[in-house]
Amino acid sequence: MLRQPLSRALALTSPVRAAPLTARRFADQVQAQPEKVEVFIDDQPVHVVPGTTVLQAAAQVGVEIPRFCYHERLAVAGNCRMCLVEVEKSPKPVAACAMPVMKGMRVKTNSDLTRKAREGVMEFLLVNHPLDCPICDQGGECDLQDQSMAFGSDKSRFTDIHFSGKRAVEDKDVGPLIKTIMTRCIHCTRCIRFASEVAGVDDFGTTGRGTDMQVGTYVEKMFLSELSGNIIDLCPVGALTSKPYSFAARPWETRRVDSVDVLDPLGSNIVVATRTNEVLRILPRTNEEINEEWLADKSRFACDGLKRQRLVSPMLVDSRGNLTPVDWEDAIVATARALRDCPPDKLLAVAGDLADAESLVALKDLVNKLGSENTCTEQYFPLEGAGIDLRSSYLLNTKIANVEDADFVLLIGTNVRFEAPLLNARIRKSFIHKETDVALVGPKVDLTYEYMHAGDSASIVKDLATGTSSHAVARRLEQAKRPVVILGAEQLRGPEGAALLAYTQQLALKLHDKLADKSWKVLNVLQRTASQVAALDIGYKPGVGGALQGGPRVVYLLGADSGVVTREALPKDAFVIYQGHHGDVGAQIADVVLPGAAYTEKRATYVNAEGRAQQTLLAVSPPGKARDDWKIIRALSEVVGERLPYDNLDEVRARMSEISPALVAYGDVQDNNYFAQATALAQSLQKPLSGKLDVKLKQLEDYFMTDPISRASPTMAKCIQAVIKQKQSPY
Amino acid sequence: MSLGKFLALDKLSNFFNVIRQNGGIRASLYKLYRQDDVKDGVLVGEDKYGNKYYENPRFFYSRNRWVEYSDKYYLNYDGSQVPAEWFGWLHYKTDLPPHQDPSRPHYKWMADHTENLSGTTAQYVPYSTTRPKVEAWEPKRKDSV
Amino acid sequence: MSARQAIKVGTKTVKPVLSSSHAEARNRVLSLYKAWYRQIPYIVKDYDIPKSEAQCREKLKELFIKNKHVTDIRVIDMLVIKGQMELKESVNIWKQKGHIMAYFKPTEEPKPKNFLSKFFSGNE
Repeated sequence: MLRQPLSRALALTSPVRAAPLTARRFADQVQAQPEKVEVFIDDQPVHVVPGTTVLQAAAQVGVEIPRFCYHERLAVAGNCRMCLVEVEKSPKPVAACAMPVMKGMRVKTNSDLTRKAREGVMEFLLVNHPLDCPICDQGGECDLQDQSMAFGSDKSRFTDIHFSGKRAVEDKDVGPLIKTIMTRCIHCTRCIRFASEVAGVDDFGTTGRGTDMQVGTYVEKMFLSELSGNIIDLCPVGALTSKPYSFAARPWETRRVDSVDVLDPLGSNIVVATRTNEVLRILPRTNEEINEEWLADKSRFACDGLKRQRLVSPMLVDSRGNLTPVDWEDAIVATARALRDCPPDKLLAVAGDLADAESLVALKDLVNKLGSENTCTEQYFPLEGAGIDLRSSYLLNTKIANVEDADFVLLIGTNVRFEAPLLNARIRKSFIHKETDVALVGPKVDLTYEYMHAGDSASIVKDLATGTSSHAVARRLEQAKRPVVILGAEQLRGPEGAALLAYTQQLALKLHDKLADKSWKVLNVLQRTASQVAALDIGYKPGVGGALQGGPRVVYLLGADSGVVTREALPKDAFVIYQGHHGDVGAQIADVVLPGAAYTEKRATYVNAEGRAQQTLLAVSPPGKARDDWKIIRALSEVVGERLPYDNLDEVRARMSEISPALVAYGDVQDNNYFAQATALAQSLQKPLSGKLDVKLKQLEDYFMTDPISRASPTMAKCIQAVIKQKQSPY
Repeated sequence: MSLGKFLALDKLSNFFNVIRQNGGIRASLYKLYRQDDVKDGVLVGEDKYGNKYYENPRFFYSRNRWVEYSDKYYLNYDGSQVPAEWFGWLHYKTDLPPHQDPSRPHYKWMADHTENLSGTTAQYVPYSTTRPKVEAWEPKRKDSV
Repeated sequence: MSARQAIKVGTKTVKPVLSSSHAEARNRVLSLYKAWYRQIPYIVKDYDIPKSEAQCREKLKELFIKNKHVTDIRVIDMLVIKGQMELKESVNIWKQKGHIMAYFKPTEEPKPKNFLSKFFSGNE
């Protein structure tokens, strides 16, 4: 396993890298700053910490040195030689990405020697690089293209290729997401480093030397990772391109809209590239607090699901029981009649996984105005004890970025790798670059790094909390200076959920009491869906179990597609209203279908697992007659006769801020406390635990289809096929 | 010039001849109503759809060959109901009607004649062959299952 | 800006467009109105519009009254000039039937005002 010495770890946290993270240094982490050295970049003086590379020092004064192999989030390879610079008193040009600064060093990044060196490197690279830019998907966003324009020569001395031809390499098949055109590869090894360092899949490597060198997996196999799409972004040339996006568009044709991903609970920042009102691809947007610059495969590639199985017209059940397309007027009037005729205690609203905060607020307001309190979410959370009254009980309190600073991570009943891939990438990052250890209570799964497995029975948590455990994990937890406990929200579903939460809270509080740094948060609950935190903030009751017992007459499903509400569980004459964007589980059992907008088609608020409100922006317009979700509910309210007092988005958001200011504090995340109070309230719930912890997403093939968008995506279906096929192959 | 001609008696005999040929006063009035014209002429042939083709060289060129549409069309007759093989004779492309012309090709792959269907429910309507950008969900039908 | 300059700017007399007093501007408006009024029978006949002379006179009055709140002489003058241009275009048949009918806005549908009608018309 790849673990690096402390010196490497220090190099990785050099000032340039850590700059965005400085805000979250903790008191006991402040180290004595070593004395800075002065270096001169193009005669500009700059003071940097020893150990900084020339390239990073140059970046500090705004001089960008061209590079192919160097990437600030990956280990330094120093093999592309593009970053060669002239250093005074050095006989040869020096690779800036690998050269640490020395006192008084004078670097010339624009001298004749430097330019000649770059030109030479470009000339070598282009000896074997095919000139197929017109048919290359990377064209327009290609580092090699840009840098050959900026630094390359207008001619080549390698005329022998006119007779012998260029090097040709056979393409590899690494799965349905990544297209490889290996002839274009310039051997920067970024993909290899990403696979082994970040993704934790040691499959990629090089074979051969010199002209015969090839990047690949040696025996052909799929890149079995949930982060595989990132190597497309990393590849500086067109060797690795996106298979679903191949030959679709050029970067200058697309309109890019900043947005937020909703397919996992982390709310990764994304850029949606659209053309002619069609989502073409989704790329990550750098956010150091959440996703750095990575993006999980489901978030990146499930966007073709937005074009299939869509609800484009309101539908109403006809006399034969078939859903038939109708006008908005008819659908709204039919829905309003059902709502008005329903006794208040028989009305139930269920919010699904992808519901945005605006529509959640509007639906709750409407249901409350009609006299009902039955608003629930599909995911369960125990209401006993403090329940959802204290925000800290259901959030990822440590925050995603701070997990990097943890020295011990205890995972309880969660497969972070598939529930929140980028959180897992953070844990792996601290595992590799720092001395962080990880322990897991729950089924044994592949987390891409080594961890201590404490077993899968729930009673282990109780033993840890009460201090009766003699397991090695207990000892490590005791010693930890910054421990993190992450509890999977999925485990809270059963009858023992409340007790498990109570013990986890007690354990976290016990660990917190011993800490020197009281601002460090220990307790984390990892929610499974993008809507859950906002729904709980707004006051939805988690879980539909109790509400279904009452035999509801009218059920309003707001994108509820998890299959929690079924026709069998409802009375025969129940009227089901489904509002959402995909024809999935919910629409199949509905009597009225109201087509809403998916996350790329509306300006909407989502609160991620940390409690950070973020908004998606409108990238394409909703298809057909589909409308913004909160507007549907607003229109419905007027026809029912209980008009909601907001007509535009600003007014809805004003209402949201009345409910919780955190819902509209975009990009911010507030610190949560009251851990002790929550634990005290949960004291009585500490009952013996006997069950086993189990997670739904165990294997990679389970990861790809978890919500209506990814279930409609052909690419995700191909991924599952490919993973299953790969697992059957002997390699 | 004979006396009869001088007194326009031949016109009169023509008139009675036309009425007789067309099956009496009642039938002639019906034809007049249906096709605004009653003529006398030689029945040259009849096509498989029941249209009858007449010729009378007494009329001047371009009026001396005509078609009387099958009764089943009533007032909904139309030029496109003349099949291709009779079209040539009717428009003086040939003097040999199809059943007297052995040189006409007859292949089994030759399609049957269809009239112009514009304005009817069977008319051709252009449609897009490109795939829609967004595929809509089709709900499961309960009655067909 | 110094105080002197400010006073200078504040008290600067604006150059009149046509009229130097309200009375003069009023005369111009009235004579334009009369000119239009006299032209109406010819307009109805020349352009063959499906409107009666009475309807046209009503519309003329309505269009003039629409600007009754205007008190700035320069603005009144500009409106008069524009009205004269329109009149000239009508007299010389530089306009077509549609241009005259456009005053009556026969095909203009009122835009939905409240949330619900906007929602159902697809504007919201």
